[in-house]
Formats: sequence, C-alpha cells, structure tokens
Amino acid sequence: MAVLGSSRPNQAELHGRDVRRLRHGKFLIGVATTVHYLVVAMTLALIGTILVKGLPAISWEFLTSYPAEGMTQGGIWPMLRGSILLMVGTLALTLPFGLLGGIWLAEYAGDGRMARTLRASIATLAGTPSIIFGLFGLAIFVLKLKLGTSLLAGWFTLALFSIPIVVLTTEQALRAVPESIEDGAIALGLSRWQTIWKVMLPSALPGVMTGLVLTVTRAAGEAPPILMTAAIYYSTEKLSLGWETLKKPVANLPYHLAEGYRQGGVIPEKIIWGTCLTLMLFVLTINLFAIVIRTRARKKAGW
Amino acid sequence: MVAVASPVKHAVRAEDVNLYYGTKHALKGVNFAAPSRQVTAMIGPSGCGKSSFLRCLNRMNDRIPGAKVTGKFEVAGMDPYAKNADLMRLRRAVGMLFQKPNPFPSSVFENIALAPSLHYGIKGSTLEGMVEETLKRAALWDEVKDHLRRSALELSGGQQQRLCLARMLAVEPEILLMDEPCSALDPISTGKIEDLISELSKDYTVLIVTHNLQQAHRVSSQLAFFMLGELVEMGDTEAVFESAQSEVTRDYLSGRFG
Repeated sequence: MAVLGSSRPNQAELHGRDVRRLRHGKFLIGVATTVHYLVVAMTLALIGTILVKGLPAISWEFLTSYPAEGMTQGGIWPMLRGSILLMVGTLALTLPFGLLGGIWLAEYAGDGRMARTLRASIATLAGTPSIIFGLFGLAIFVLKLKLGTSLLAGWFTLALFSIPIVVLTTEQALRAVPESIEDGAIALGLSRWQTIWKVMLPSALPGVMTGLVLTVTRAAGEAPPILMTAAIYYSTEKLSLGWETLKKPVANLPYHLAEGYRQGGVIPEKIIWGTCLTLMLFVLTINLFAIVIRTRARKKAGW
Repeated sequence: MVAVASPVKHAVRAEDVNLYYGTKHALKGVNFAAPSRQVTAMIGPSGCGKSSFLRCLNRMNDRIPGAKVTGKFEVAGMDPYAKNADLMRLRRAVGMLFQKPNPFPSSVFENIALAPSLHYGIKGSTLEGMVEETLKRAALWDEVKDHLRRSALELSGGQQQRLCLARMLAVEPEILLMDEPCSALDPISTGKIEDLISELSKDYTVLIVTHNLQQAHRVSSQLAFFMLGELVEMGDTEAVFESAQSEVTRDYLSGRFG
C-alpha cells in the first residue's frame, strides 16, 4: 500500500474499474459465442445441403453399380473403387516415410542449423498448394519416369503431398510426450531405439494416428494432385486386380465431381449431389475408423 | 607391503568429480563413497548439486546439452565414463527413481514387463511371476492385482511411485538412485516409500537425494551434505546429526538456512 501511496485509487474508482472489466469480458465472450455459432451454422448448412440433395440419389445400388446410359443413370462404383485404391496406396506409402521422418526430426535431428533448415523446408512443403504436387508428379512420375497417367503415379504424387504433413504431425505428437517418460525408459537401460519404438511411439500413438488419417483422407479428397497424374473422368471397366492396374489411370470421386460439374448438363444434378455426399461419407467413414482406433489407444494408455 | 584393510565394500566411489553445465561449474572436486547395501542420503539446499551428482552415476546428465563430467568413478564395478562404457548395462545395474512418478502411459503390467522382456527375453508365465514378485516387493501387489491390465495413469501418485519402484526392481539392479522420490507425495505415501527403502537396503545399495532432513535421518545410515557444488561433509548419519565437523553443516542441520 505504501508503495502506491496517494496514487492508490479509492474504493469507488476500483469498483468502477471492476464493473468496466466485467462488462468488457462479457462483450468479448459474446463475440466469441456468436462467431462460434456462425461457424457451426455454416458447417451445418453445408452438410445439410449435401445431405438433402444427395441422400435421394444414394442407395446400395448407386454405390455398387457401374454408370449406365452415358452416366445419366446407374451408379458410381468405379469412382468409389478408384478413390479407395488411391487412398490405400497413399496410406501404405505415407505411413513408413511419414513416421520415420517424424521420428528422425523429433529424436535425432537436434536443433542445429541443418535441422532447422530441414524443418522449415518440410513446413513449406506441407503448406504448398496441392496443384504444385500435381505438376511435379506429372513432370517426374508421369513423364520422366515414364509411369504414364496411372494409379502408381497417383500414389506417388499423393504420398508426396501427404508425407511432409505427416512428418510434422508425427514430430509434434512425439515432442508432446513428457520428457520424464523418456527419462524413465532411458534410466531402465533401454536403447535409444527401444525407447522411441516401445515407449515414445505408443505414448504418442493417438496423435500420430490423428495426423496420419486426417492427412490421408484429405489427400483422398484432393483433385489437383491426381488431375494430371492418375485421374480419368469416368470408367465403366470391371477391375481385374494385378500389375496392370497399377499402370492404368483411375476414375475417382473428387475428379469425377470436378469434371462432371464442369461439363455441366451431362450428368443429372441428382447424381452429382449423390457423388458429393458419397465423397463426404467416404472421408467421414475413414475418420470414424481413426477415431475408434484412437479412442482405444487412448483408453489403453489412460490419457 | 602393508595390507590396507578395507572393512567396508563400496558400491559407488567417485573421486575429484567436476561437472559443468556449459560455463556453470555445478560440482567442484567431489569425493564420495557409498557403502554397499546401505542407504546413503544426500542433502543440501536447492541447487547444491546433489541431484546433479546422482545423475552423474547413471549418466543421465548426458541428456542435458552442454553437460561435461570429469573425475574417476566406480559404480557397480563399472566405470561409467570409460570410452567403451556400455550405458545400457550401466543403467540395468543402476536403477533410478525420479522426483515425479513417471509411469509409462500403458498398463500396470506392461510398465513392469517392458524392460525385463526387452533385456532378458523373459516371456509368458515367468514374466507374469516376475511382475507379481516385483509388485510384492514394492508393496503394491494387493492394491493392483485385480487391475494389472488397467492404465498405470489411473493409479494415485503414491501408487505410481511404487509402480516405478517395482519397474526399476524388475530390471534387477544393484544400486538404486532416488532423486527426491517423495517430494510429490502426501505424508502417508511418503511413509510407505520410506518403509520400502529400509526394507530394500537389505539387498540393494540405495542413494537417496532428499530435501527432508527428518527423512534423511529416518532412512539413511550414511549422510552426505552438499553445498554450492561441494561435498562439505560425509559420514554416519547419526554422527553427522549429533556432531557435524563443519559449521556450515551444523547450521544447515539446525535449520539456520535451507
């Protein structure tokens, strides 16, 4: 008190200040709440529109049958199948590289200039527009490596798009594991690799999984990377799984949507909305899987 | 030749230990010896270097960037700082209990089973037996025997610390380093850990860092007083408490500073 001396405000002034502070806080909370509801409303509007317009088109028949009558009838199975194929391969390529890259960055790279440069480069890559990856894939995989427009070129391109993001999310998840846990493992005489593989990674698994699945499903919904590397507008072919499949282009949901809309009028609106909803449900289903796995992992760990 | 009789066997010996964190001189010429199968307590005001010294012995200081250690060591018959030192072997022989319980975010069973299964390839019923045995030694078995598959993070703080103790014992070390193991625990949990320490000292060499003078008095037979990076005094706990050689030690023990 003595410190403030006569400059200390009296009780009435202090009370006035308190009132203003509380009012200020209420106002900001009001703004935040409004914005929150706006975002929720927009999301609901988006999902609602797609649901209302797309649901009438969707049936088991629609999902599992081939397009017919110049795509004015029938289903979208080849496109759904193509998206699944693209995603599975992307996941298989992204998982090891993303994981190992993330482990290396988090545990071995240190904080030197080299590591910082690398980290910045990867962050830049992770923020690069997907069309750039598409063009790169076209130049390198399709043309230079002569893979042609093919499933394989699509896998590589989509993996290239996903890996930087997964490297970063994996690194983040590993860094979020408390150091005391790492200390505990080291003090038990575990090797560096055992510590990472048997203690750190299982502890970070929920975060690692989230990053991986969110990224790969995002990749599965992207049209630009496969635009020039893997995609064809539509297909009515039966699939015979084999090496040949890798070299063939694939029809898929996002590109089908883009092209179907662009060529306006050919595909009935109802089918386009149905495709839209299918793509959304496809991504949602995979995310749901991820959530289930994550919840289990978390429950097992107890956090 | 004169035979030098050495009635006491030392599990830990350290001569002229210096530790630097960057430019900070954290330990200054410390000479230390801890007899086998006894409890040696290390006390001293915050920042005096007692924890740092403990972490030299199993080379946990390696994990701190810029840490540099010099001196002669013998820990569990090994030289931790030998050029070809096997750090994994060292840390199997020298367990460590930390200030805050740090169980792995996995089940109670896995917490204990992980290290022995990785180190010694123990599996199946042998492993189960070992988990039970170590949990009993840590006086935790009765409380967790029905929840071995539950997450260790669901246990209370005191239980978690005893789990960490069991986890350490499962590796079959010779020396147990404890870095203020009770500082995050309530008095009842602290009492349980102290009872365990006394029990364990029959089979293990225990080095415990503590801020709690009463605790040091209760559990230890040897006492080392650190101050400003130096080992000021070391001797039988009773003797040091009764009549410390150095005035600084006497002042500290009488609570004149802390």
